[in-house]
Amino acid sequence: MADDQRLRDLMVEYQSGRFDAVDELYASLAPVLRRFLLSHARDAAQADDLVQETFLQIHRARHTFNPAFALTPWAIAIARHVWLMHRRTAWRRPWVTDDVSEMELPVRAEAASFVERTEVRRALGKVTEPRRDAIIQHHLLGFSFKEIADRAGIAETAAKLRSSRGMAQLRALLKAKGRA
Amino acid sequence: MSGMSQELRARLAADYGPVRTLPSPWARALWLLPFAVMAVATAPLVFDLRPDASRLGWMGLWGASSLQVLIGLAVMVAALREAVPGRGWNHAAIALWIGLPLVVVMAVTLNSWVVSPALLRRGWWMVGLACFASSAASGLPIVALASVLAARAYPTRPALAGALLGLGSGLMADAGWRLFCHFSEPAHVLSAHVGAVLMSMLIGALLASAICRAQRRS
Repeated sequence: MADDQRLRDLMVEYQSGRFDAVDELYASLAPVLRRFLLSHARDAAQADDLVQETFLQIHRARHTFNPAFALTPWAIAIARHVWLMHRRTAWRRPWVTDDVSEMELPVRAEAASFVERTEVRRALGKVTEPRRDAIIQHHLLGFSFKEIADRAGIAETAAKLRSSRGMAQLRALLKAKGRA
Repeated sequence: MSGMSQELRARLAADYGPVRTLPSPWARALWLLPFAVMAVATAPLVFDLRPDASRLGWMGLWGASSLQVLIGLAVMVAALREAVPGRGWNHAAIALWIGLPLVVVMAVTLNSWVVSPALLRRGWWMVGLACFASSAASGLPIVALASVLAARAYPTRPALAGALLGLGSGLMADAGWRLFCHFSEPAHVLSAHVGAVLMSMLIGALLASAICRAQRRS
């Protein structure tokens, strides 16, 4: 991990208009944030999602960073907030089911065989929880990303990100299944 | 861990621009000072000073109110610091920031009672309600502005930051209202005046939480 002074300099550059500084910031901070979030979430894919969300929030709160203080505690405080918001959201949504086996999935008409539907359900069950919720709410229940974001207490961009990453994960799982 | 995904990078880039760093909590709290002065000056200017002003003396009247305003301002600074990620207070400090001002208010109340005992014999509820409502209402503009200032940072505990802001503004508003209130009876002061300060805390907590929630959803 880069020393904190280097991170502070990068953040100051990011604040003052050098967008490319975000790549180095991400490379240095993401492992620390992931370790922190993994210790709470205990799920690698969920921790990855939360790291993405944390970076969105870091971006949003970048004006609050004061270079006189260390960057890592500032970033960890935001990650902790993201984790608590995620936990609160999970606690508040009794209607989102973890059991996707009973859910009717709109697979393509020409491929709507029982086997394929079962495979999609199984694959969806393996998609990490926040991503799965976003997919179910958007693609199956027809909620807009704004509505999903409002329910989850997250930014609309984060809801889009969860859905698209979830779809990518779902596609990868189905592709792997097809190869097997 | 691999690098940043192109998708996340694109989302950040879409909303990117240089930003000015947030001024220090002290500098931001100074924005509230004119409102604090107004809150202190309104009651004595509109309704005149309390009748026992000469008995309380300069220190007992203006000195105690100035102390209350300064403590209120310090609590505001603490709240604005709390609103910055990674600069939050620990539990002991929070207890101190909430407990100390209340102890000071009680000490001022007891001192006023000892120096100039003024009992509230009739209309206890009416007078109490008037003091409570007026004191709480005169703190509202400060708590509203302060909540906006806190939300401009990124409070990870908005209810706590808001409660501290409410406490600070409540102390400032009550510092003015006590200059006019005719009664030094501790039961009246501790229920109506301290009650207004506590109400201000509650309003601050709710307001800051609501503003932050709305801001994060936008």
